[in-house]
Amino acid sequence: MSDPHLHIESLSKSFGTVEALKDVNLTVQRGAFVCLLGPSGCGKTTLLRIIAGFEQPSSGRLLLDGSDITGLAPHRRGFGMVFQSLALFPHMSVAENIAYGLRLRKASRQEQKDRVEELLNVIELPHIADRPVSALSGGQRQRVAIARALAIRPKLFLLDEPLSALDAKLRDNMQIELRRLQQSFGVTTVLVTHDQTEAMMLADELVVLSHGVVQQSASPTEVYRHPATPFVADFIGSANLLPATVSPNRTLALLGIDTGVTVPSVTVGALRAAVRSEAISLARSTDEGATATVTFARDLGPVTEWLVQAQGHEIRVRGASHAAAPQTGDRVALQFDPDRISIFAE
Amino acid sequence: MSSTTLTQKQALAFATPAFIALLPFLGACLYILRFSLSAEKGSIDGVSLQAYRDLMTPFFGRSVWLTLKLAFVASAVVMLLAVPLAFLLTSLRSAAARRLLTVTILLPMILNLLVQAYGWILLLGPSGALNTLLKTLGLIDRPLFLLFNETGVLLGLIQTSLPLAVFPIVGAVRAVSPEHLEAASSLGAGHWRILRDVTLPLLRPPLVGAASIVFAFNASAFAIPLLLGGRRVQMMGVAIRDMISPLFNWSGAAAAGTVLILLTVLVLVVSAWLVRITTQKTGG
Repeated sequence: MSDPHLHIESLSKSFGTVEALKDVNLTVQRGAFVCLLGPSGCGKTTLLRIIAGFEQPSSGRLLLDGSDITGLAPHRRGFGMVFQSLALFPHMSVAENIAYGLRLRKASRQEQKDRVEELLNVIELPHIADRPVSALSGGQRQRVAIARALAIRPKLFLLDEPLSALDAKLRDNMQIELRRLQQSFGVTTVLVTHDQTEAMMLADELVVLSHGVVQQSASPTEVYRHPATPFVADFIGSANLLPATVSPNRTLALLGIDTGVTVPSVTVGALRAAVRSEAISLARSTDEGATATVTFARDLGPVTEWLVQAQGHEIRVRGASHAAAPQTGDRVALQFDPDRISIFAE
Repeated sequence: MSSTTLTQKQALAFATPAFIALLPFLGACLYILRFSLSAEKGSIDGVSLQAYRDLMTPFFGRSVWLTLKLAFVASAVVMLLAVPLAFLLTSLRSAAARRLLTVTILLPMILNLLVQAYGWILLLGPSGALNTLLKTLGLIDRPLFLLFNETGVLLGLIQTSLPLAVFPIVGAVRAVSPEHLEAASSLGAGHWRILRDVTLPLLRPPLVGAASIVFAFNASAFAIPLLLGGRRVQMMGVAIRDMISPLFNWSGAAAAGTVLILLTVLVLVVSAWLVRITTQKTGG
């Protein structure tokens, strides 16, 4: 089912002495929703701007359907883009904003009108065509910006943190809306975000970046369950990173507790393990061997979060709330889910 | 109010010295207004509209028309020159080139006006550099008269008022969000299309503001029409001076001055109103 649409080939970008992107290789499948995810300054926006044509890479190539578009001017690429500031034209009405790309393509008046109407229906705002942009709410502007980008039937749909200005509830709704729109248009989409929940909600494929390097590129589930690097483990869902030792029978021990996970015999040197907070369970214990103490517990309703102090490490644990759950000050025994441990060489 | 750093009271206190400095000017305006309504030509005495009635002559009418025409043409030409210069200033990457261009544009403000006027005469006068060159090349038989007529005054007005327009426009061009331009670009607009469809419309309010300043400056010009127009180009500034200096018609000069102020204010109000209604229509 592989149908590559956009291919990014050993792409690098430097600003002066700062390396913003280092040897990025990426293939985006046709119709896929790809999220570029990482902390601020990781290079995700630079990568999107290079795809859009607003920046030129220092080296490397961009291939769209096999043809090289690296040097193509942005206005010849035919990509629809939604900007962080939305960048709706304040001197044009909603309809004029949406029709602008079609006007540039010399579409007939009727064609423009029909397309604007169609898109306003898709974004469920059929009555705002003649309103000035300044009269719209934040969520409405958002939808109009998306409609303007989709009106040109873009080859690629690019979004630069488009939801970051919205409040939490509206953002949730827009995420669902965006995913629905993307699927109904079947347009290949690249979205930049620093919000891992948003990325996991939207993406078919997550591309995690740090310091200009692609750390991992895989489905959200894969990235969450099998993080490729300690950075990914920590950034996505904040895992506990713990020093690990190998017992004589080549199983992994964390904080002196044998997890039963077999370590491949090729691994040498110091190891670290990432364990998700929900992959650890706690049991109240009076056993002398239990060296962990609950320092903080908060009941969030369906789940409870604990902070546990053990051998100088602070460990986050998350599990179902129940009446017998350990409280602050309790001594506890830790148990790790062996299927949910990722091992990294130091 | 949270966006401003000073409360209204604090700002009032801060601006008090400036406000006091403006008071004499306001007083002078009121004094001129009162003088224009005087029944006597040389002193304030009685109330009469005679001074205004005396202005209703073909001579003064031509002067008003000439003033509005020259100020309008000069402002239009200045805007046509200032907009590209402002774009050039904001796009120059070398700081040295930027400074050089800034100083060049500012020269008319730095240089003494008399020196500039004599420069024009040396360059454009009947036996000046340009005429000599054209004659040597055999392109003309008799010298072109570029000075001491409307052309000369127009050149002078354009030169002196250009810096007034360029620098406000530079600020406005810098303030245009690059994302608006990139949005237009992603939708398929080339550079000139972006300029026409997005940049210039976004710049309209500051452009009209700059044009208004230039117009007011040129309509009230006095030294330039006197130096480069001689007596032949009777812009209102020159006409008013002639009423005072050889004729001692103080109330007439005051009435003409009042007319000039009102005309200028009228033009500024109308242009501001035009910006407001056109921006509302398209929803700025």
